[in-house]
Amino acid sequence: MPKEQYQAQSSNTHSQVSHEHSLSAEPVVSIGGMEVTNSLLSSWIVVFLLIVFSLVIKLKLSRIPKGIQNVFEIIIEKSLEMFDSVTGSREKSLKFFPFIFAFFAYILLNNWLGMLPGVGSIGGVAQEGGEKVFVPLFRGGTADLNTTLSLAIIGVVASHIFGVLAVGAWRHLNKFINIQALLDIPKKIKKEPTIIIINPIQVFVGLIEIVSELSKVISLSFRLFGNIFAGEILLASMSAILAFGLPLPFLLLELFVGVIQALIFAILVLSYLAIHTSVEEC
Amino acid sequence: MESLINNFHIDAGLLMAQVINFVIIFVALYFFALKPLLRVMQNRTQTIEKSLEDAKRAEENLAKAEEDYNKKIQEAKQEANTILKKAEEQAEQNKQETTEKARQEIGEMISKEKERQRAEKQKTLKEIREEVADLVESSLEKVLKEKVDSEKDKELIKKSLKTNK
Repeated sequence: MPKEQYQAQSSNTHSQVSHEHSLSAEPVVSIGGMEVTNSLLSSWIVVFLLIVFSLVIKLKLSRIPKGIQNVFEIIIEKSLEMFDSVTGSREKSLKFFPFIFAFFAYILLNNWLGMLPGVGSIGGVAQEGGEKVFVPLFRGGTADLNTTLSLAIIGVVASHIFGVLAVGAWRHLNKFINIQALLDIPKKIKKEPTIIIINPIQVFVGLIEIVSELSKVISLSFRLFGNIFAGEILLASMSAILAFGLPLPFLLLELFVGVIQALIFAILVLSYLAIHTSVEEC
Repeated sequence: MESLINNFHIDAGLLMAQVINFVIIFVALYFFALKPLLRVMQNRTQTIEKSLEDAKRAEENLAKAEEDYNKKIQEAKQEANTILKKAEEQAEQNKQETTEKARQEIGEMISKEKERQRAEKQKTLKEIREEVADLVESSLEKVLKEKVDSEKDKELIKKSLKTNK
């Protein structure tokens, strides 16, 4: 990001402009009373790109695949194979595929968009608490906790919805607040006396599951945010040391990290879906 | 918690905006790209499976038809052979019968002809004899130049006839 450097240097000569990567996305414009951050702006670009991409796919779709459709079909075929290893059945994989693929596509493009030249380097100077702060116009969508957190919440909430639809509300509830296990104690105590020890443990495990659902949201959102944000800082630091050549290997690394993080997020959401839609055997 | 929200600038509006973004992307991808594409892929798989099965069935049918054909041909050949043999026998029999019949007919015809000839010959002979008798009578009349009385005449004729015989 040489531009950033020049701009930073040029502004340094005139007056002190703070040029730090802030942990949060900065508001850039305000539409209808809502402050739109630079991350949201670049997310909208991604949304636009994906809609265009979808329309292109739809228009170019043919029974006999040609060119890009072939590539896309290979991707679908391979990811369905991978999904099968997580869900255990092709039927489930096909059911979850569009949902998971939307996660993957959105996160991947957001990750990569954050690395484009201009993103994070073009912007203006804003006054903040007496000192001048550089505010970029665009910032990687996933380099904002709001994005990753909302995606994580969507994923986890969807896993619960699918779970209720697949196994029923009562059984799904019993995975967390295990009333069934308590009710079973007087019924089966004559057959297996050990149930008086096992079932309270199961109830306790169910309570722990509630905590784990919360931690799913936190781990999903912070993992993605941390990786991408750290990548942007890494690239900025490398450019600060030497803007020519030095950031290249790190760019490649970040390109890779972008795919990996998108994949991890998608597969984890898929596994949550798979876990909640399968009947627990106990 | 407060500091966390402040540090990361977590905002309900932004969260909602991202949720809406995701929903838009999901809908667009699902209805424009993935659903049609998956359907096309599935259709293609089914078509290929069906055509492979069809090809297999066609091959089986062909083999069966060939077998049937060979069997039919064999049967037809056998039938033709038996028919031919029968026809030959028939022809032979017919021939024999016909010759037999012809022979009989010819024999009959010959014997009839012979009979007829014999009858004619006798008739002719009789006529000749009568003619000769008349002739003799008239010549005798001429020779004798005179009519003998009928008694003598008759005797004479008898005599002469006897000698002529």
